[in-house]
Amino acid sequence: MSARDRTIADRLRTARAPDEAETERRAWELVRSAYAEQPAAPRSRLRIRLALVPVVAVLAGVLALTPAGAAVHRWIEQTLGVRHARAALFSLPAPGRILVSGPGGAWTVAADGAKRRLGPWRQATWSPHAEYVAVAGGNELTAVDIHGTTRWSIARPRVRFPQWFAPNGYRIAYLSGTTLRVIAGDSTSDRPLAGGVAPVAPAWRPGYPYQLAYVDAGGAVAVRDAGTGKLAFALPEQSMPRLLSWSTDGQRLLVLTRDAAIVYTGAGRTVARRTFGPGQAALDAALSPNGRTVALLGARDLTLIDLAAHPGPARQVFSGQGLRQVAWSPDGHWLLVSWPAADQWIFIHATGTPRIIAVSRIAQQFTPAGSRPAFPELDGWCCTSSGGSG
Amino acid sequence: MPIEAEPVSAAAESLAVEHPLPARRQWRQRSEAALIRGAQAGSEADLEELFRRHWRRAYRTAFLIVHDHAAAEDIAQEAFLSAIRTLHRFDRRRQFAPWLGRIVANRAIDWTRARTARREVDRDLPDGPAPAELAGGYSDDLLRALATLTPEHRAVVVLRYVLEYTPGEIAKALELPRGTVNSRLRRALDALDAQLREVELT
Repeated sequence: MSARDRTIADRLRTARAPDEAETERRAWELVRSAYAEQPAAPRSRLRIRLALVPVVAVLAGVLALTPAGAAVHRWIEQTLGVRHARAALFSLPAPGRILVSGPGGAWTVAADGAKRRLGPWRQATWSPHAEYVAVAGGNELTAVDIHGTTRWSIARPRVRFPQWFAPNGYRIAYLSGTTLRVIAGDSTSDRPLAGGVAPVAPAWRPGYPYQLAYVDAGGAVAVRDAGTGKLAFALPEQSMPRLLSWSTDGQRLLVLTRDAAIVYTGAGRTVARRTFGPGQAALDAALSPNGRTVALLGARDLTLIDLAAHPGPARQVFSGQGLRQVAWSPDGHWLLVSWPAADQWIFIHATGTPRIIAVSRIAQQFTPAGSRPAFPELDGWCCTSSGGSG
Repeated sequence: MPIEAEPVSAAAESLAVEHPLPARRQWRQRSEAALIRGAQAGSEADLEELFRRHWRRAYRTAFLIVHDHAAAEDIAQEAFLSAIRTLHRFDRRRQFAPWLGRIVANRAIDWTRARTARREVDRDLPDGPAPAELAGGYSDDLLRALATLTPEHRAVVVLRYVLEYTPGEIAKALELPRGTVNSRLRRALDALDAQLREVELT
């Protein structure tokens, strides 16, 4: 190497990018979180035998969901997964359609169990009436109908988290890199709304055209009018918000952070807060369509918090090792819990008569023939007549 | 934050901090294969060690190619998340760094190309700090000089001198013939030298 080349090389080697320590801290939080959410690694035969030592999966206190006084607790001991699970998804226990995506592509599931693969997309969201799906794929945002036919697409760098406004479907919000953008449902008028936002799915406020909640790079939640750009209100900075979810009437906003789940009114006042102890962070959460119950999913259990009482009592309704996501049915009566470690979906009747339906071989059912089975992500359970989705 | 208020000078710390890199010997107390094996088996501590060893170089690599700190952070983050998703399939006989570096470099090149196209349609969108807006003569010079290269040439230079890949490793990472790597490297160094000399003269 010549002296000239050596000089340039030395200057490059000793260079530092901006904020390296801070970016490292942020990135590690994300990486650690993603790692914790990973399904268990494929095991060797020896490990499979060891796994037969019962790993307890518990359906606990589903009866406790019924009115107070019927406090009968039922515990079902399982190996990994619920026993007597159905071998296929023959039907959904509640009206609506489910949308999933993952390495096997984006799929829809109708109420009668009919599955349809839309295409090779890894992230998808329903339109308010489940007639279209917006999908993100690399550097492209695409709208497809439920048959998988592309209606339009637009190239933008690093598209993520498309979200369709309900109930009219006239706007889609999405992230392009760290820029929050909004595009009309017919692909016109694409424009940026905010820059420097955190990698968290934005959330439209139902019934309030067109208020959009998002998380900025500092961890503060802002609700901004997508038409005027005017700030409706902002919440204080949180420790790593990772999920925003509105009730279908737009009156309550759930913010899930690394340390807590907090429910706010539509004016930004705190309604309820549940702080997690060390190692107890929730992986996912869902606000019931009526905004009265929060479903909190940890890696090992599902807990429901009733917001009608203050402070809301917490009730553990299901336990199992390696749970990942939770979603409400559009009618608010059922919960769907995804359980990659057991390769199962668990439907839990959360109101009225307690009931549980488990479906096995989920990965295989959402993977095209010839591909390696991969467990899909839940992207939504849609829709009520008003366009809300669970 | 709203677009109109987005600061464009957050990268002002620039590349000028001149602390030497930790010596590689200090970083490699446990073998990478052992860390990967541990991470595959569920050890968060091993994963963290792996992450700490590689984050800064990954981020730095992306930054030197895209010249946008927010985009670079995203690119490096996504590369790690991609690595996590496929960690259980990773062959421990392979080296982690080249694999990660390839992901970062290719994503950074794609991003730079996309940004070039985006400028045509998004005139209202800030493109992040231009090199001229970075503080510090030394790093300003270097970034200005790098900015004159194509993303492909920048990637070759960065992989060679930041990640310290051999030309053969670069060829493999970017799926290029080795001769192409060498010629790009030579042209890039010539261009950088010319640019840096110009700066010195002005």
